[in-house]
Amino acid sequence: MSRIGDRFARARNEGRKAFVAFVTAGDPSLERTVEAAREMAEGGVDVLELGVPFSDPMADGPVIQRASERALRRGTTLAGVLAAARSIRAGTALPILLFTYFNPVLRYGPARLAREAVDSGVDGVLVTDLPPEEAGGWIGLARETGLDTVFLAAPTSSDARLGLVAGASRGFVYAVSRTGVTGETHILSDDARPLVRRLKSLTDAPVALGFGISTPEQVRAAAEVADGVVVGSALVRFLEETPEGDLAGRVRWLKSAM
Amino acid sequence: VLPVESGSRTLKDAINEALRDWVTNVRTTHYLLGSVLGPHPYPTMVRDFQSVIGEEARAQFLGREGALPDLLVACVGGGSNAIGLFHPFLEDPVEMVGVEAGGRSAAPGDHAARFLGAGGAAGILHGTHTYVLQDDAGNVLPTHSIAAGLDYPAVGPEHAFLRDQRRVRYASVTDDEALEAFHVLAETEGIIPALESAHAVAWLLREAESWRGRRVIVNLSGRGDKDLGAVKTERRNAQDNDPAGERDGDRS
Repeated sequence: MSRIGDRFARARNEGRKAFVAFVTAGDPSLERTVEAAREMAEGGVDVLELGVPFSDPMADGPVIQRASERALRRGTTLAGVLAAARSIRAGTALPILLFTYFNPVLRYGPARLAREAVDSGVDGVLVTDLPPEEAGGWIGLARETGLDTVFLAAPTSSDARLGLVAGASRGFVYAVSRTGVTGETHILSDDARPLVRRLKSLTDAPVALGFGISTPEQVRAAAEVADGVVVGSALVRFLEETPEGDLAGRVRWLKSAM
Repeated sequence: VLPVESGSRTLKDAINEALRDWVTNVRTTHYLLGSVLGPHPYPTMVRDFQSVIGEEARAQFLGREGALPDLLVACVGGGSNAIGLFHPFLEDPVEMVGVEAGGRSAAPGDHAARFLGAGGAAGILHGTHTYVLQDDAGNVLPTHSIAAGLDYPAVGPEHAFLRDQRRVRYASVTDDEALEAFHVLAETEGIIPALESAHAVAWLLREAESWRGRRVIVNLSGRGDKDLGAVKTERRNAQDNDPAGERDGDRS
């Protein structure tokens, strides 16, 4: 089993839910991203989602858009993010999931990325805008190298399509808690619970719930239904407002009601 | 109509915002993009609808001239008007030229010519696998054109195919050439072309000598009424930069 799958299994054995944290790599700098990973591991993060900044982040709300723009202005590239992953891996066993759009992957070369990602200590890749229907080639490369592939499951998908998403996913299935893009909201969407229930009836893989989860109360509500909770924009905004802020403390706070 | 405040604030960013709005309100809305772009089958559907242009042009031209045209010229942003004109002629012995926006210069960010030099490379943007203006890391480059309808970093996938097949030739003209053509057509024919279509006219003006005496269709895909403000601003800027009026003097 992969490092990501192991971590979900360990959390389940310990009777708790996994906490997945997203940051945009290179915001405010790749050096800070490497430190942030260490701090988040210390704060109790189970899986790190490392966002590769992209010029056209269509699935992201304003917070992550701004972070991507800042990271790109600093010259952050996929190659740089892999180097940062290598530094993170040198200091911690924290599972790493790359979160990227497909065009940078295509430009880098999917086979090259699969090879170098594994070599850099990356455990899985989520390609936001690559639907499983079009992902055959990529999934093949990932399986050959042992990379997990995570796909997004939307509340509006049919059971047949959720089955396809779950079948293409390794490590965990990412349930999108609501219709829309990434960003902070105040309450857990009514879409979340039925989606997770439908996914759980279709797969034995762990299901993590993300998009719009930004407070300890929401984390708790999400953890009641899913095997894991993903927090992104709330941490990215924390880094935007306090680039050198105490991320370990922030993660502990987010987890405090779990 | 809402202005786009995110990213580079151009057409691609407006499309990003439309997609974000659509996925948020997907239960009650549908997303449509007005060109031969997006995932299959949209480029094919839009091409089929736009083919009315070529079907009618072909029938009318045969009726009036008793022969096929030698050349078709159309501007290419996403390329819907061009594919609509070209498609019904693809099996005919007719040459075709698609004209892209050469903008201010050939430097990255200054134009929207995906087929110009080393500019565009195979990529995926907004669900279309095609030539995309992008940097080495796969980030989409900003674009510029005086014609808003050509100001987009990707091109309809069928154009990419026709270009690779060498069935259609693609060229570009600059903002200045398009503006010049805008005036020439207005003054000589009384037709005000859209700045987009003025790119097609400009290419023909540039290449006129080689096509003298031949039969040519230029697709005037839009009217220039909408562009009078932009043209006026350009003219004013040109005069401010060139007070003697030498560059544009015959029209001031």
